Amino acid sequence: MQAAHPAILPDHILTAVLTLAKRESKTERLAFQSYDFQLQKIFSEFQETKKYPILDAFVFSDNGPEPYSPALNESVSRLQLSGLIGRENPDYEFVFLRPAADRFFDEVLKQEFDDSQLQQLTEIAAEFLKRVTVSGAP
Amino acid sequence: MTNTSPEHKHQRLRDRVNTFVDWLFEGYKGVVPKGPKVFNDALLGNLFFAPQEVAVIDSPVLQRLRRIKQTGLVHYVYPSATHSRFEHSLGAAALSERCFAAVQERASVEGTGPLGDADRTKGDLAHLRMAALLHDVGHGLCSHASEQIYKLLSDLQDFKRDKAYATNAPGEILSYLIVTSPAFTNWFKKYVVEGCRADLNLDTISKLILGKHNRKDKTFLANIISSAYDCDKLDYIARDSYYCGLALTVDLPRFYSMIATADYKDHKVLVLRNYVPLEQILFSKMTLFGSVYHHQKVKCLDSMLRSMIGHIVDNPGQASFPPRGGSQGSFADAVDYLYPTDDEFFGQANGFGDTYIKGMLTRFRNRDLFVRCVEISRRTVKNWDSGLRQKLIDLTELPMKLADSIPALPPMTGSALIQTSRNGPIQHVEEYFPVKQWTDAYAHNKWRSYVFAPREIAESVRDAAIDVVQEYSKLEIDPITSNLNCHLS
Repeated sequence: MQAAHPAILPDHILTAVLTLAKRESKTERLAFQSYDFQLQKIFSEFQETKKYPILDAFVFSDNGPEPYSPALNESVSRLQLSGLIGRENPDYEFVFLRPAADRFFDEVLKQEFDDSQLQQLTEIAAEFLKRVTVSGAP
Repeated sequence: MTNTSPEHKHQRLRDRVNTFVDWLFEGYKGVVPKGPKVFNDALLGNLFFAPQEVAVIDSPVLQRLRRIKQTGLVHYVYPSATHSRFEHSLGAAALSERCFAAVQERASVEGTGPLGDADRTKGDLAHLRMAALLHDVGHGLCSHASEQIYKLLSDLQDFKRDKAYATNAPGEILSYLIVTSPAFTNWFKKYVVEGCRADLNLDTISKLILGKHNRKDKTFLANIISSAYDCDKLDYIARDSYYCGLALTVDLPRFYSMIATADYKDHKVLVLRNYVPLEQILFSKMTLFGSVYHHQKVKCLDSMLRSMIGHIVDNPGQASFPPRGGSQGSFADAVDYLYPTDDEFFGQANGFGDTYIKGMLTRFRNRDLFVRCVEISRRTVKNWDSGLRQKLIDLTELPMKLADSIPALPPMTGSALIQTSRNGPIQHVEEYFPVKQWTDAYAHNKWRSYVFAPREIAESVRDAAIDVVQEYSKLEIDPITSNLNCHLS
């Protein structure tokens, strides 16, 4: 069966960006205000700059009035499912990074990325922090 | 040197689809219908189809869908769920018109209409209905059960990397390729456009199947075909729950009264005037996923099918489905899944000449199904919050056998827009109520994965599977709780 083996999964890119953003923010617990459509906008704009080839894993459709990447949408859901990120009840407005994400990044993900990719991810994380409203620890 | 450019790969799949359509039309004598037809649908009542629609309905492209069950292997669990993609397609066409009529009526009373041409033989409505009728012609063996397998094949992944197809399910891409194939285009021109004197543009129809329209002021038509509340969902939620005997409600008349069109970022889009109908759709969809599509026995059946397909793929010389058209029956590419219909695949008494397949077909025939032998869930995994379950979830994106029974999350289609009054602001529905977050939370709590095995070797498979899962993901499964949940001793 000629199956496609993606080198790096979108879930891993998103985990890495959020973990590196947390480290950059120097907070104990990164929580940021975001609806999914806002995340879509942020990442599609990052991709438009063409500075970060690693983001090509998120293909944004131009079907409708706004760019939309199903891969990004699904990644957010899957990271919640795997316990790497969570959402604060009852409004679900804030996404927060769980401690497991740090561990997963250090123990599993870090080895997957080469130096150039890690550099891109670090830059994306710094840019990401400028684009979201970060909340303090509850 | 082999040409590996995206265009070349796209063309290769297009050619394979065209060969399939050619094969489908082999020996078919096209007839121009004498007039319209009424179909009596158990769910929606009498559905009226115009002659050009009847020509398409009577063609092998649509008739093939009679032999593909809408809910794949679900009928082994819910015995009355034997409805087919064919009747769903008729239903989707009818509901697309009801959505169109609803937004037309709304535009008329609000003084913003008319939105489009409501003629059945030309114009917007005719194209919309035809797109709805043809939207599922790319479904293959056992519907989504095989889509989960072939979606990971590289020929389709190449399409998914193209932003023109990024939001489309594999079946939709295949539907698009069938409808745009030269074989179908030629037939359509002769029997529909000329034969029925229908002024229909196949390019518009095929784009609508992908949820697109060339004109931005017609985006709402694409939304009726593909969006968070499209005619496909309206039909399948009602139809699947009806045939499974589940009392789910989507108040369609209320829904129609709550949809409208609005101008948003240069597009005329479909919007909701109230989010309650969307809540109903989402809750019903989640219930269907929990009770039907992700029922543990349905996942078991999907795994058994995947096991058979995997065996055929791994042993092409020994266990192929009878070759036909351009297919060697090896299930090595996405188009191979279009050739056999459910009845043909499961009716192969000789098991394609292979002992393993023969044994599995006998199991299906007698409903002698595998059983659960390991449960992977928050109830059975000791280090559930370690984040390591991401390694298991990664498998849903990789073509590996361990992924057989790991359920993917229910797909959400885009983001819905809401405008509570005609001149009010247009917002994402998430700003009103956390639609995706609720469904994610629900799916999160319902999520569990299983390893299935033949009953007679369940205990030894269990022991080996626990070791494999632990070795691969470092997740520690509590065997006592797992046994209890799987009803193993």
